[in-house]
Amino acid sequence: MDEIAAFLRSYPPFDQLPPAAVNLAAERAQIEYFAAGHDVLTYGGAPAEFLYIVRKGMVDFIREQDGEITIFDSLGPGEAFGHPSLIRKRAPIVTVRARTEVLAYLIPADVFHHLHREYPVFASYFAASALHRLEFAVRSRHEAAEPSLFQTYLRDLVMRPVVAIGPNASVGEAARMMRDQNVSCLLVDLPPYGIFNQQSGIITDRDLRNRVLATGLPASTPLREVMTAPVVALPGDALAFEAMLLMLERHIHHLPVTENGLVVGMVTHTDILRRQSNSPLYLPRQLERAQGLDQLRHYGDQVTAAVGALLDAGARVSDIGRVVAVAHDALLQRILRDAERELGPPPAPYAWLVLGSEGRYEQTLRTDQDNALVYADEHPADAPEYFRILAERVVEHLVACGFPRCTGNVMATNPQWRQSMAAWQATFARWIDTPDEEALLRSAIFFDYRQVYGSLDAEAGLRPIIARARGNSIFLTRLARAALRNPAPLTLFRNVALERRGDQRDLIDLKHRGTAMVVDLARIFALEAGRTETSTVARLRSAWPEASISETEAESLVSAFELLSQLRLRHQRAQIERGEAPTNLVVYPDLSPIEQRELKESLQAIARVQRGLATAYHTGRIA
Amino acid sequence: MRFPWIRRQDIPDHVRAYEAGPWPDPGSYWREVHYVVLDVETSGLDARHDVLLAVGLVEIEHARVQLARRWYSLIRPPEGLLVGATSIRVHGLLRAELADAPPVDAVLPELLEHLAHRVLVVHVARIDVGFLNQALDLSYGVRLRGPILDTARLAMTLHQNAQLLGEASPDLPAPAIQLRALATSFDLPVYAQHDALNDALTTAQLFLAQATRLERQGARTLRALLRAGGVQKR
Repeated sequence: MDEIAAFLRSYPPFDQLPPAAVNLAAERAQIEYFAAGHDVLTYGGAPAEFLYIVRKGMVDFIREQDGEITIFDSLGPGEAFGHPSLIRKRAPIVTVRARTEVLAYLIPADVFHHLHREYPVFASYFAASALHRLEFAVRSRHEAAEPSLFQTYLRDLVMRPVVAIGPNASVGEAARMMRDQNVSCLLVDLPPYGIFNQQSGIITDRDLRNRVLATGLPASTPLREVMTAPVVALPGDALAFEAMLLMLERHIHHLPVTENGLVVGMVTHTDILRRQSNSPLYLPRQLERAQGLDQLRHYGDQVTAAVGALLDAGARVSDIGRVVAVAHDALLQRILRDAERELGPPPAPYAWLVLGSEGRYEQTLRTDQDNALVYADEHPADAPEYFRILAERVVEHLVACGFPRCTGNVMATNPQWRQSMAAWQATFARWIDTPDEEALLRSAIFFDYRQVYGSLDAEAGLRPIIARARGNSIFLTRLARAALRNPAPLTLFRNVALERRGDQRDLIDLKHRGTAMVVDLARIFALEAGRTETSTVARLRSAWPEASISETEAESLVSAFELLSQLRLRHQRAQIERGEAPTNLVVYPDLSPIEQRELKESLQAIARVQRGLATAYHTGRIA
Repeated sequence: MRFPWIRRQDIPDHVRAYEAGPWPDPGSYWREVHYVVLDVETSGLDARHDVLLAVGLVEIEHARVQLARRWYSLIRPPEGLLVGATSIRVHGLLRAELADAPPVDAVLPELLEHLAHRVLVVHVARIDVGFLNQALDLSYGVRLRGPILDTARLAMTLHQNAQLLGEASPDLPAPAIQLRALATSFDLPVYAQHDALNDALTTAQLFLAQATRLERQGARTLRALLRAGGVQKR
């Protein structure tokens, strides 16, 4: 009996149940053996009396219509079926047929309903659809992490009531109050203190140094002249991680915490740092302290270490992408500022763009640089030469910090990708109007741009050109067809199709046959809907009302993207830890049963959306 | 070995009830028949000198193993016969556990209740059936009734059928008769810990796999199964 319990425990959702519950299921189980071709459940037939768990063999979900049989899913060991019929006490809506001889464990209805009632993880796992299962997988990964940044609420980090002072008090009084109360930050507010509004401000020890002492203001200066107001705050039920992101993005060290409109305390940078050793919050400090570039040589490695720590803490890959973007942007801004200082002020406004995954906030581990430069149309004759030297210098410095050159030469050092606004607009317009292979390839990289530095408003000049794609059905159709050339790798039986490279077998490429497919789909939907977001998740969530995808499908793609990205990131991190170069190839049988199943369901979600897209663009059957 | 002084009228009611049957109709569809799959642990292999130390069983109804109705009992060996240290380790049974176990007389009534009205399924019947008959004979002067199926015999029949059907080469040696090897050849999970209950469970799964395969070859009734793997009672 222990073996049955152990078997159940190695698959979700039993892996999340307490041992007593798993043992109950094992002890009350029945065991049945099905001949190949036997219908375990019949469409429209008797309702299921059990939850079936495949122990050996495979079953197919089939639909028979006008004598034609379609297999639309198949399940292997550890996978369960029968629950929709069991829950609704209705006839099965699919026929489940044994493809091979099948040994199954049967959990009786009363035990199933008992577990369903007692354990929310069990209930949500068996929520009727595969979509819910994918969402559940993402959420439980998130929740299983150590109780750190993702399980700590800000209100739990508040150690003492907030110390407040009025805006008319002098900086001297504030300094004495900070000393006496031993705090690094005061809430500046009118009595009754603590009601959070536009007038609420803060004053920090750093403000006293930078805004008062360093500028020579007297101790009698009223606080209202030097305080920060309005101030950014977060509610008490925000996660520590959200506070960390906000601090990183806004370069701030103190956050008032509010509950029901009242400031209940202050959370500092240090409070968050204490939660995590390899915190990305250390990175800006690294940048500030570095005297020269040689001290930033390991910046890339430090970002990688921070990514590892976030991954361990259960961060979503989309959150990690934002952290990495902040860290990389900060480095780039520092490098550009240093370069401007050496070369003199720029002769015309310009914008430094990052492209591809960096542009989508989806970079996690270090990859090549992908960047471009746009400068204003009105510029002196020597401007192109200035920007050539600037680009050379920046790219070189990025290499020195551990970001290798782009092998495809998509960098601002390439004169093709360092142009005036008018030239860029013409290029973008040509790609949309004449969508040849190269144009489709380029638009996939360049339309995902994001401006990281510079005073030129690239968005105002370029986004309207990209928006023209919206009405251009030739461009969209060709883009859709190009995306569908790379179908989700599933076999006829809806299992994961594996490839072989050299003497390596059973491989799957998690990027090209995984995340990249979602990225391409999301880009098409965003262009269709005329949305300006660049991140894949944001595109899917914002574009669906006006694109050829339903909300449900968009959400299933979001989950699929997250799971595939996680799988890839965990895999690459393990490779880096073993001293190997990270790749996108995983050996499918080496994945855990849970990972195999998540991968399969993610690819099935992608395939569904691809089929819908093929219909919408009449591109016929996808290969 | 009979004890002539035990007279027929001394037989307890539960034994009479067991003997009275009725037993499953050989004409029934095999999936509608109730089975009890049993395995024993013993002090050795010779029913005349060795004794039962444990019995484990699972029931099959509606062609499904009913784990909720599994049953396992240790059996205290007779005084003085507390077994030699060599054989006692076979199943990892401990002397202390056995010393606290109920004696065979206390175990048999419940065992008979499980066996009544059901087809008995065992792997290599000779040993298990021999020990059960010995114990029943000693206590009540009776023997097992009802149909008995042997999964080892079913394996031989399936092997012969495969050769006849040309699915297996005629030179292919007969299958290993060992329970684990057979279960593995069907790709069935083997319940690792070697005790009477786990072995009964492994046997039960093997039986379901065999009967399912035989049904495809036309053996739909209990009679057909008995022809393929029944035990002749002497």
